[in-house]
Parts: sequence; structure tokens; C-alpha cells
Amino acid sequence: MELNPATLLELFWHSLSMWWLIIPAVMIGILMGAIPGFAAHNTIIMLLPLTLVFDVDLALTFMVALYCASHLGGGIPAILLNIPGTGGAAATTLDGYPMSRAGLAAKALALSFVASVVGGLITAGITLFLLPFLSQVGFHIRSVEMVVIMLFGLALIAAIAAQDMLKGLIAGAFGLMLGAMGADHIYATPRGTFGILELFDGVPLVPALIGLFAISEALVMLERRTIAKTNAAQVTPTWPQSLRNIFHAFKHGWTIAWSSVLGLVIGVLPGAGASIAAFVAYQQARIFSKTPEKFGTGHEPAIVAPEAANNGVTTGTLVPLLAIGIPGGSTAAVMMVVLQYHGVPFGPRLFITEPLLAYGVIMSMFVAYLFMLVTMFPMARYLSRITVVATYYMAPLIVAFTLVGAFVPRGFMTDIAIAVAFGVIGYVARKTGYHVAAILIGVILGPLIERSFLLTMRIHGNDLMALFSSPIGNVLWGLLALTLILPPILHRRAHRRGKAEADDVY
Amino acid sequence: MPKPIRPTPPALPRRRFLQSSGAVVAGAAGLAALAGPGTAFGQAFPSRNLEIVIPTGVGGGADRDARAFTQVWGRHLDTNFEFGYYPGAAGQVGYEFYMNREPDAHSVLFANLGPEVIMLELQDTGIEIGRDIVYIQQTLSEPMAVWVGPNSPFRSIEHLVEEARRRPVTVSVSRLPHPASIGMLALGEELGVEFVLVPYGGGNPSAMAAITLEVDCCALPITNTIVLDDQARVLGVFADGNPTPAETDDAPTINAALGTAIPPLSSSRAWGIHRAAYDAYPERVQILKDSMAATLADPEYPDVVTGTGVPTAFIDAGDEAVAMATAESMRTLARRFRTLLSGS
Repeated sequence: MELNPATLLELFWHSLSMWWLIIPAVMIGILMGAIPGFAAHNTIIMLLPLTLVFDVDLALTFMVALYCASHLGGGIPAILLNIPGTGGAAATTLDGYPMSRAGLAAKALALSFVASVVGGLITAGITLFLLPFLSQVGFHIRSVEMVVIMLFGLALIAAIAAQDMLKGLIAGAFGLMLGAMGADHIYATPRGTFGILELFDGVPLVPALIGLFAISEALVMLERRTIAKTNAAQVTPTWPQSLRNIFHAFKHGWTIAWSSVLGLVIGVLPGAGASIAAFVAYQQARIFSKTPEKFGTGHEPAIVAPEAANNGVTTGTLVPLLAIGIPGGSTAAVMMVVLQYHGVPFGPRLFITEPLLAYGVIMSMFVAYLFMLVTMFPMARYLSRITVVATYYMAPLIVAFTLVGAFVPRGFMTDIAIAVAFGVIGYVARKTGYHVAAILIGVILGPLIERSFLLTMRIHGNDLMALFSSPIGNVLWGLLALTLILPPILHRRAHRRGKAEADDVY
Repeated sequence: MPKPIRPTPPALPRRRFLQSSGAVVAGAAGLAALAGPGTAFGQAFPSRNLEIVIPTGVGGGADRDARAFTQVWGRHLDTNFEFGYYPGAAGQVGYEFYMNREPDAHSVLFANLGPEVIMLELQDTGIEIGRDIVYIQQTLSEPMAVWVGPNSPFRSIEHLVEEARRRPVTVSVSRLPHPASIGMLALGEELGVEFVLVPYGGGNPSAMAAITLEVDCCALPITNTIVLDDQARVLGVFADGNPTPAETDDAPTINAALGTAIPPLSSSRAWGIHRAAYDAYPERVQILKDSMAATLADPEYPDVVTGTGVPTAFIDAGDEAVAMATAESMRTLARRFRTLLSGS
């Protein structure tokens, strides 16, 4: 099937005709994405019996719409409550929550929604036309390159540590230690599990995330009356103000476009995901920013970059399934179950036997993002009111909802205890000035770096020089070195120049 | 008006699927567990939903085969099915969790007799086949295969071995305790060449590594290659004969191509149950066995299996004696290659 304007229009109308399915899927996705632990993957598994009885095109449309919307939803609690709904929204808390505390929640939400929707639209459009080329990314980015990409994300710890170097690095190292728990990747030998079976597969991300962010935040929250220091009237914008907030967010178009493409590429890579994409995008936005010192204080580009990236990942994870026949992530794996159940071939054969279905999946994503465009106006206006709800109502609700969320992904009661334990760790960390995001980065990226590193060593006979054996890898190493070395040099130079100018004045 | 997309019809009519496979609850393990046990059908057994424990992740081969089986099983056993996925530590997590379930025959394990039996033999789990778990029904068996991606320079198994004589050849495998891993180690041992096994932690990432040429080749159960179609070129099969030559590039058996004497290596799916339940509730176990056998004899089962992309040649119905014998042969192999597989 050739992708000409007529075909595209046909695909578009067909996807649009499923509005009755896309709108509820978007609503469910936003809601579930906003509750830590539920997210797209778990919600889709819960709804699998329902999707299995749909026709296959309806089932896939429902799933992709829900999947995309959950990434948008994940940013809402990250901004309003300092609790990321998904791992991909963890980086959003760094600047989103400070904006909320300053009474700018509506503006932060508008930035997040615009970045998510525009990022999703851009990457869905790119994927539609460049799918065969995108599928080639995996041929060039392998374990060696993945080690460097993960290090880009890990470098964010150094950025966080910039405010208090020692505490930042201790928090990052602590996170990496926690991430090392579980069975080793090669021989499956348990390490640091204390005999707890639930830790054999490593520290579970969702309970860790819920504990570090949600439980600890609920405890800290109780020390003040409301999240925002302002009243309801001040945090709730008028309709024209909401509209202005939305239009204002488009000023970050370049950051949104670049970060979403970064997310798309990372999403295509096996083993990578929204968390990595968001951390890397945040770090890159900071590196290329003229005001990197504002990151972490409620800076606008620091919200749009991770949100655009984690929505770019959504289409990326479908590329391996559609182009090669191998699911690129857990949500794609569930989609494969549906295709298998309906006897529909996947991979390149899907484009031969069911081209409308194959391209229709991507077009459905595009259309789902269009529908989200409409939903964001009321959400950007009213959701910010959460920040002025009394914390003695909010805190118990957060604890109750998120503890259920900790239980849902694996169905282990122990995961609730793990979430509480991480909650205590998070509370102590917050009260003593250690950054919980640095701990979480270590927990998420530690096992992934270890896996890629061990695979590289295994493939190259334990030769450490193999890490520098790939041209793309070497370019990435160079960029990594630059991103670590240049900012302090430029900062020092700017500082000297400022001092010299001040001296000239006097 | 746009032309509507015409999906392939489902293997079973939807209404029947809803009735038979517990569509309302299957897969929703978390919510189901929160909500408590399911409702009874007013019969002695099963008096509640049947829980299916899968020691690997959602969307994998075990998930595919278990779902295919339950599509038909629901017609022979009047209950709903709840799926639970417990991947981790080469299957150990799933087995440990299964052992913690109430041993009343309302919970069954969908096992992969190849890798999981090897894992139980190599890892200190404390779970012993026969003493703690009994495999009561074998459903499918498939041989292991060596294969490469479409862009690989290797055209035949001889070509691959020739390369292995010059340098260590890398092989992506799902995990070290696996029949495919044993096959490659045995091949290397017989020919005096080195195959470096690279465990990717699952069939999908292993396949991806071979297709993207990160490794030289891949060793997995042969169905993976059939599902991948032209993304995989099979070089050899660890069996006495290739059961599906048309779907696997008419690949030769390893022994025929290289003159080796490696025992047939296969992976069999089987239903397992607690030994305690087996002893305490023989009548319940008999109901399970009878309904499983009826499922395998059901003319609709091969259609459902074909619908998932698995050739019917791999349907390998075997009773408890057959399943336990398969498990025992895997234990023997695991003991032989213990050092290489465990790194000890």
C-alpha cells in the first residue's frame, strides 16, 4: 500500500470514525496514568478480556489511545503533587512541582499538555512516513551504545547534585545500590535480596516510585495547609488565561520537537523506555539551555522536555512490533497478544496482509492526540485547584490510592510494604536535604546500565575497550564528555565575565 | 466512505469465548486478587476460578500457548481462568509463588519443561519435581533451533561452524538454563569450537539481537523462528528430524549436517500442580486431567493453535507419565552441563 494523500485521508477518516472508542480510551488513559501503579501496561492487561472480544482494529485503536493518554496523565500528579504517575514523569516533578508551589500549576499543566500532545503528534507523523527507516535504528544502537545513552540519563544525578554535590552523589549512589538488588543478569544468582522472593527480579519500580515520591510527599505535605501558597481564586485561571497559557507553551516549540524526536529514537530501542527518554531529554534541555541554573527551580523548558520525550516514546515502542515483529515494550507485548488471538500476523507481514490495520494503528495514535488537544483546555483550567485542597484531605487520599497502585502491577502484598519502606527512605531523604529523584534515577537506570554493560562484556570477551569500539558509540562518548565538561567551563567563563563587567562599572 | 478494515475472524466466536475463558476476569490478576475469589458454578470442583500461574512475562510464548489452550479448555471445565505472570530469576520467581498458593487444585502452573526444569536443577530453590510439583499433562513440544537474521552473512550451519573455528561465535539465548543453550554448548564441545552464550532475558530480546546483528546467531525454540517468518533463517535443528521443514527453510538437523551425536533437545509445555494437592485431592486432579485430555482431543484445539502461528506438528499430547519423563530427561541434561550453565 502506498502512502499517498488519498490513503492518508482514508486512514484519518477511519480513525476519526472511531471517536466513540477513542474518547473513553483517552479519558481512562489520563485517569489511570495519573494514578501511580496503574499506567497503560497494567490497565491494558486488566482490560485485555474486553479488548479480545473487540474486532482487532477496534482493540488496537482502544489500546493505543489509552497508552498515549496515560503518558499525558502521568505528568498531572507529577506537577500538582510531586508524584509522578509513571516512571516517565519522574523528571517532570523536578520543575513542575516548584511551579505548583509558586501558584503556577495551571501554567505548568498547560506546558505539560502542549508538550505531550505536540510531541505525540510530531512523532506519530514521523513514524507514519519513516517507519522502515526507524526500524533500522536498532541495527546501529546496540548494547555498547545503550551503555552511553544510559550514562546520559545518569548524568542527571550530577546535575541534581550541583545544588549540593556530596548529598546528590550519595543519593545517586544509594539508588544505584538499591538498583543492584535482584538476580544477576547472566547466571540469575540472587544478590542482596535478603531471601525476599519479591526482590529476586530487582527492586520493583512502581512501589519504589510510589514510596519515594507519593508516600514521602504525603508526609511532608501534612506540615503545611495546602500545596500552593495562594488561594483558589489565584490558582484557577480564567478561560482567556487558560488559552494564553496554552498558546504560551507553544513558544517552546523547538524544545518540544527535539525532545519528542529524542524520545521516539529511544523508544525504538529495545530495553529502553519512557523513564530513560525523559531523564535524557531533561538533561539535554539543561545542557543546551542559556539558563541551566534555573533548572530545578520551576523552569518551563524543564517541563516540556521530559513530557515531549515520554510521549515520543509511545510511538517508538510500537516500531519494532510493526516493522520486525518483536514487541519493543510491555504495552506492545500486550498488543501482540491481541494480534495473536485474532490470528493476525505481525511484523512486516502485517503491512502486506493488513496494511490499513498496520498504518491505522499509527494514525489512531495521531487522532488520539488530536482528541487530547481538546481535553486539555478544561483540564489545564480546573485541575490546578487540587493545589489548594487542604492537605489533611489530600494526604490520606494519596496514600490510599498509591498503595493500591503499588499492589496492582504484580499483585504482591509485599509490594505495599516495599512502597512504605521507600516512603520512609524518601521522607528521611527530603527532611535531610537528599534528592529523592537522584535515588530514583539510580534505581531505574542502575539495572539497565548493568544489563547493557554485561551484554557488551559477554559479546566482546570481557574487553573493556569494546565500549569504545563503535563509531556511533564513540560519538556518543564524545557528546557525553562535552555535556559533562562544557557547562562548568561556560559557567565559570560567564561568571568571570560578569565579574569583570561589574569591576568595569566601579 | 473509507473502506473498513476487515480483521481475520477470531478462532472462537466471541460469545463462546466469554463463556469459556472467563473473559471478565482473566488477565486482571491484580484486581481479581483484590476482589477475592471468584464465584462458584454450584459444583464440587472447581468451586471457584482456576488460577493459572505463568513463570514468564505477558506476551511471551507461554502466555500465547496457555491462552490458546484455555480457549478450548473452558468448554471442558466449567470455570473461569485467571492468568498471573511471575517472571524473574529464570522462572524461579514464578515457581516459588506457585508453591505459596493454596494447594487445593484451584491453582495450576503452566510450565516450560525445558528451561524451568533446568533452572530447578541448577538453582538452589528447594523445589523438587515429583516431591513438590507434578506435571500432569503435556501439551506441546518443539525442538530447539539455531538461526540468523535476514541480513546475516551466515548461510548454513557449516558456514557458522567454520567461523567458530576462527573465532568465538556469539549466540543470543533467552537464558543460560535453557535447552537451546545446552545444544550450543554440546555442539561446541563435540566440535572443539567456542560458542559464547549471551543471555538476553527473554525470547523477544534474543531474537532482536540476532536480527540486528549484535550477535552472530540465535538459539531458541523453533516456534520463535516460525512466528518471525522471513525475519529468521533457520540453520539447524536439534532434533532427529525437522518437524516443520516448510516453515523453517528446510533446515537440516544439526547431527545430519555436522555428523554430531547431540541428543534431541526440545522444550515442552505442560500443566503442573502442587504435589500436596495431587495427594490430597485425587478426584479434583482427575477432573483436571480428564478435561485437559478432552481439550487436546477437541478438533477445535489444532485450529486455535494454528491461529497463534504455532504449527500443529508441535502438539504433543502426553499424560503424566510422559510429562514427568520429559522433565527427567531435562534434569539429566542439566546435570551434565551444570558447570557451564551455572558459571560455578
